[in-house]
Amino acid sequence: MKFNELLAKPSGILKNFTKNNKIIFLDPNNPDANTISDKEKIDVILSPSLYWVKKVTLPIKYVRDVKKLLPSLFEEILPDGSYSYSVYKEDDEFFIFAYEDKLILDTFLSAGISSSDVAGVYFAQSELGYIDGAVNINETQSIYVQDDMVVLVPCCWIEETGDLNLEDVILSKHKIALQHYAHIVDNSSLYKIAIVLVFLVVLLLSEITITSNKTADLLEQNDEIFASYKLKPTMMQNKSMLKKYKKIHTKQSKIREHISSILKFRLQGSERLSELDVKNSTLSAKYSGASTATLSRIKNVFKSKKIKHKLYMQDKILHLEVQL
Amino acid sequence: MNRVNPLYLALLLIVLILLLVFNLSGVRADLAEAKESIKQTTKVATELSGLKKVYTKKINPSVFNSKSIVKTNTKTGATISAKEMDVRELNSFMGKVINGAYNITTLNIKKISDTKASLYLEIKW
Repeated sequence: MKFNELLAKPSGILKNFTKNNKIIFLDPNNPDANTISDKEKIDVILSPSLYWVKKVTLPIKYVRDVKKLLPSLFEEILPDGSYSYSVYKEDDEFFIFAYEDKLILDTFLSAGISSSDVAGVYFAQSELGYIDGAVNINETQSIYVQDDMVVLVPCCWIEETGDLNLEDVILSKHKIALQHYAHIVDNSSLYKIAIVLVFLVVLLLSEITITSNKTADLLEQNDEIFASYKLKPTMMQNKSMLKKYKKIHTKQSKIREHISSILKFRLQGSERLSELDVKNSTLSAKYSGASTATLSRIKNVFKSKKIKHKLYMQDKILHLEVQL
Repeated sequence: MNRVNPLYLALLLIVLILLLVFNLSGVRADLAEAKESIKQTTKVATELSGLKKVYTKKINPSVFNSKSIVKTNTKTGATISAKEMDVRELNSFMGKVINGAYNITTLNIKKISDTKASLYLEIKW
């Protein structure tokens, strides 16, 4: 469908935007009075038995200032329970309400109404002030307007009663929002919990950001070390090179240590060190004219230092071989 | 009545917190890994650079003040030899080589007489 066609046919999709919801009157003593089809959005007008109302004149100008005083205005009047409050102003008077969210939600359930299908909830006080005379709302009770107040009265008090007609009702702006778990956790507690949770979220996000930044800094420092020391690209290559150089260092240290031991050794008489040789992984020394006593003295020195060696006499030459 | 249930919001926040805690533990593990990595890199870099500096050092020309010593450079090092040199000169030369951190791969000193000796030395860098 083209856009022009859409505008030309208000009875089509656009009609839904102007459609009024079905209005029902909810009374706990007559929950089966309304038939609601599935997925139909409804507006609910609450029976006076579902709320407490007072008309008060206060030296206060604004509704927002009255809201703070509502619990104290109902103090010592309400039975024990978890109440929510509402207020609106008409002329110079304030209509103040107290209601139990759970009681209203339970009444929804017993009337077969799903909370998700409810578009708005209104008080009979704000919506039915126009009724003339008494109107039956169940088998035993009627509502009646007296001094601008919609009151609940037994049927037997008033003989001439009519039926409630909601077709011509034009809903006011005074709707209320029900708190599903108000009886468990009140609003102020919920706000406190939400503040704590949001604070935790902020704290965690900050911690994550700070930690991530630290990690990024460290990685950058790591790269700088690679660059300044001119390291190979991977740590595996560098470790392999280090291993190679450590091996060289160990071997060179041993060469120097063993040569020092050989040179420090005191020879006697005609004994001479005739050859010193380092090749592959062996250091060897040859002593000419060495006696067996010298052999055992050399042996003891290398043994005491726990150095692996080989010592033998061949053609009157003492051979010493040390593994590097 | 179309308002979002505050308990759903609380639940959403709790799930978000759990996800963030999980994420934070991952980020902390990354940080620990980065710390360990930098520690290891510093250690390897310092050791490697020190050893490399020592064992890639070329032999100092001042070591060869004896005319009897012949030095031949190769691609990866040098060969130093003397068919016959004075023992005192040899002592002085070897003192410098042994006390300097050169990578000695081959060494042969053979006594010729009480005052003379031959030398063959290979150094790598």
